[in-house]
Amino acid sequence: MSPAPSVDLDEQLQSLLQRCAAADPTALERLYELASPFLFACLTRILRRRALAEEALQDVFVSIWQRAGQFHSSRGRPMAWMISIARYRAIDLLRHERSSPVLVPDLPERAESAYDWRDHATPWMPAGGLLERCLALLTDHQRNCLELAFVGGNSHEDIARLTGNPLGTVKSWIRRGLQSLRQCLES
Amino acid sequence: MAPQGHPEIIDSLAAEYVLGTLRGPARRRFEKWRATIPLVQERCRFWEENLMQLAKGVRPIRPPPRVWQGIRARLNFTASEPRRRPGRALAIAASVLLVAGLSALLYWRSLGPGKLVEVATIVAPTGAKVWEVDVYSGRLILHAGQLAEHPTDRDYELWALPTGGKPVSLGVLPTSGTAQRTLTAVQRQALANAPQVAVTLEPLGGSPTGQPTTTPIFVAPLRASS
Repeated sequence: MSPAPSVDLDEQLQSLLQRCAAADPTALERLYELASPFLFACLTRILRRRALAEEALQDVFVSIWQRAGQFHSSRGRPMAWMISIARYRAIDLLRHERSSPVLVPDLPERAESAYDWRDHATPWMPAGGLLERCLALLTDHQRNCLELAFVGGNSHEDIARLTGNPLGTVKSWIRRGLQSLRQCLES
Repeated sequence: MAPQGHPEIIDSLAAEYVLGTLRGPARRRFEKWRATIPLVQERCRFWEENLMQLAKGVRPIRPPPRVWQGIRARLNFTASEPRRRPGRALAIAASVLLVAGLSALLYWRSLGPGKLVEVATIVAPTGAKVWEVDVYSGRLILHAGQLAEHPTDRDYELWALPTGGKPVSLGVLPTSGTAQRTLTAVQRQALANAPQVAVTLEPLGGSPTGQPTTTPIFVAPLRASS
């Protein structure tokens, strides 16, 4: 019998968010302990600069604290909510930072562990989910573009430059990829 | 202005909004819709829940303690903020335990079973010391520090990460006080070759597979004790 760890961790995260809404600072601290390394890594991938990512991480947790009262289980899973806050903040910051056309390469990840944990699910994202099966249906181009966009925070233009493909082609891969995912996820 | 009669357009925009490829004025316009239109919110939720799986491979990076200090400053969490505990008697008991825990640490270190070989201090991203792991020649002693709460249906499991090999379990971590155990030959070998230890959340009693089932909550360097 395999455990479903993420369900219970979701409850813990939810309970911590409720306590944040009730102005309990310890709850934010616990949330930070659990989630900050992952969120910081997401921010670093998008923003490419450590100092900016640190600033964004502060913004994200201040935002989580201030908006915790708005979160309820009908809002979806706590981690999805927090990742969204982080990513949208990063994309907002890009608006002001990426005025130069110079393409900043991805920072090498100074990940904290030498061991390769890529085969393992994160505590809040169990492996083998529906999306994995649906992602497997995409072409390599489509999947690659979606990852470059979601994880790397790259725009259509960035992806076109990074992959050496025409802008129209990239937009089309992304659009088709998303359509394919939607069909699969909703079937 | 909002294309409320065209759910497919809303869904396409929501997908690209969540993905991040919707930019500029279109993104700002969509944000306004998202603030007020339930269908937009719903589709954004759908894509957020599903696309987040794309980030599965992102390897966590510990933020420097100054970030947490910055958050505390911005939110006016003062240093004297008492940790909420249910009841004053329990609060006193808890602080006694913490002091006792530190005394135990010093006691074991001074009198301990053999020579202290290696130490790992497991620190939360906030800077709080969560566990002290003391590796002696034949035993492991684990001290719980500032771990005020933990999920009731999961255990924290400690792993040695030997270079070039798979993680080796060092057992479940105590959530308070001190625990000690004898090291097996396999564990001693792993610890001798491990620059780091890691902590993962596992089902009660530890991972049923003998390997971590999830990515670590904490990672710490294992240093030779001088």
